[in-house]
Amino acid sequence: MPQVTYIEHSGGSRTVDVPVGENVMRGALYNGIDGIAGECGGAPSCATCHVYVDADWTARVGGPASEAEAELLQAAACEVKPSSRLSCQIVMSDQLDGLVVHMPEAQY
Amino acid sequence: MAIDAAHPVPPNLPRQVGLDQIPPHVPKELVRQSGLTTGAEFLANPHDFMAAMHEKYPPIFYDVGEYINAWQLIRHEDALFALRHPEIFSNEGATPFPRDPDDYFYFIPIEIDPPHHRKYRNIVDPLFCPAGVKQLEGLIRQRARDLIDEIADKGECEFTTDFGRPLPVSVFLDIMGLPQDMRDTFVSWAVDLLHAKDRATMGRAFKNITDYIKSAIAEKKAKPDGGVVSLIANAAPDGVPLSDKEVFGFVVFLFIGGLDTVFATLNNIWLWLAQNPDRVQEIIDRPDDIDAVVEELLRRWSVTFSGRVLAQDYEMRGVQMKKGDRITCVLPACNFDPSVFPNPKEVDFDRPRKTILAFTVGVHSCMGGHLARLELKIALQEWLKRIPRFSVRPGTHIEYRPGGVVGPEFLPLVW
Repeated sequence: MPQVTYIEHSGGSRTVDVPVGENVMRGALYNGIDGIAGECGGAPSCATCHVYVDADWTARVGGPASEAEAELLQAAACEVKPSSRLSCQIVMSDQLDGLVVHMPEAQY
Repeated sequence: MAIDAAHPVPPNLPRQVGLDQIPPHVPKELVRQSGLTTGAEFLANPHDFMAAMHEKYPPIFYDVGEYINAWQLIRHEDALFALRHPEIFSNEGATPFPRDPDDYFYFIPIEIDPPHHRKYRNIVDPLFCPAGVKQLEGLIRQRARDLIDEIADKGECEFTTDFGRPLPVSVFLDIMGLPQDMRDTFVSWAVDLLHAKDRATMGRAFKNITDYIKSAIAEKKAKPDGGVVSLIANAAPDGVPLSDKEVFGFVVFLFIGGLDTVFATLNNIWLWLAQNPDRVQEIIDRPDDIDAVVEELLRRWSVTFSGRVLAQDYEMRGVQMKKGDRITCVLPACNFDPSVFPNPKEVDFDRPRKTILAFTVGVHSCMGGHLARLELKIALQEWLKRIPRFSVRPGTHIEYRPGGVVGPEFLPLVW
């Protein structure tokens, strides 16, 4: 199963299995990883699953999946960078095995 | 202290009601009797009433109600804060639904705060997440079409009973894995439980629901399937099966939580559509924008409220609240907050996306939100395809139900 590494703002990190087809927000919630709230559940209608995709992965992951995601990102609590994504919109695939995401200081 | 969900006990919270039960820390100038959910002015036009609260009431005030006294939050920002801080604003004991103290159960997961809350949500989230409910799309579409088939050629209907009530009940039965031939029975139980004027009728309805749910749980334990009742009945988070009380409290909560809200939402929106044919045409002309249409309609026509109990003393906007005080987030009012949604009563499908409060936010945000959005989307698409022009029957006086789920009592339509 593909793995995702979630790096906390404070520097700690955890690597967990996230099944193909599942999204990166849910991977955090199911594994009890704090730092991603995902409170709308992936509608997407909030911006509380904001992550920064690691520089080594931005090309493969790509930018916002939709206009809605791009618009919602503007409301994120922390600085929005070119690597910012809503993690509920990143769907796991074998190509993303080993993905590294950095979590912002706060989600709201 | 966190509650033990497997061994429920009734909360020991004083229930304050009336002018003579205002705690001494509440400043007199913040006390109001707004009549929210029950008063004549509210019932004349509930959404206009809640939109106007921003001009008529302080951002936080202490409302002396017919059934309960509680602080009211009407600002978007304040509700976001309260709903996102369960350690200050707790859900434990905050659900006023009456239960037998000798056979007590918790509504799960709404009455369980973190850290245990996530354990329950993880059981059902795969089915209620956007990808999960999308698998039901074909079935929901068929349910909607079947209902429309029955009325389309008649040129008239009573929307609430012909469509608003049966659609969410059918979908509920599908997602729960329960048989469709229970639809009309469930409808009558839901009506009796949530809208009966007398306690005996409500009690009977609850007993019927309880008996049915308990037998359905037993059946799904013996013969598991892919429905939600089976998922819950057979769940074993961290290897520990849920207790009978947890399973029951979870299933019964979904029944109570899911039916009336979608019902009222459809009724409110169809009333507005019937009165605004030009906007109906706009929705028909913009099929690719249906998701934005749904989101804006949910903002404009939010139907319910969200209560919490202070777990500690807390000061907000200079207002001192004390541990044990109750608060209500007036969600429709928050969705009319003009500082977040300018010109808030205007239905504008091109508004910049902001967090709406129709489904609350925070850990307890509505698990059925995606299902509700999908039901509304399909209902709009299928209805407008068959019945694009309709209006309220001339001479109809629209009356609203008093209570915590806001919508018109009856909605006779003609086309």
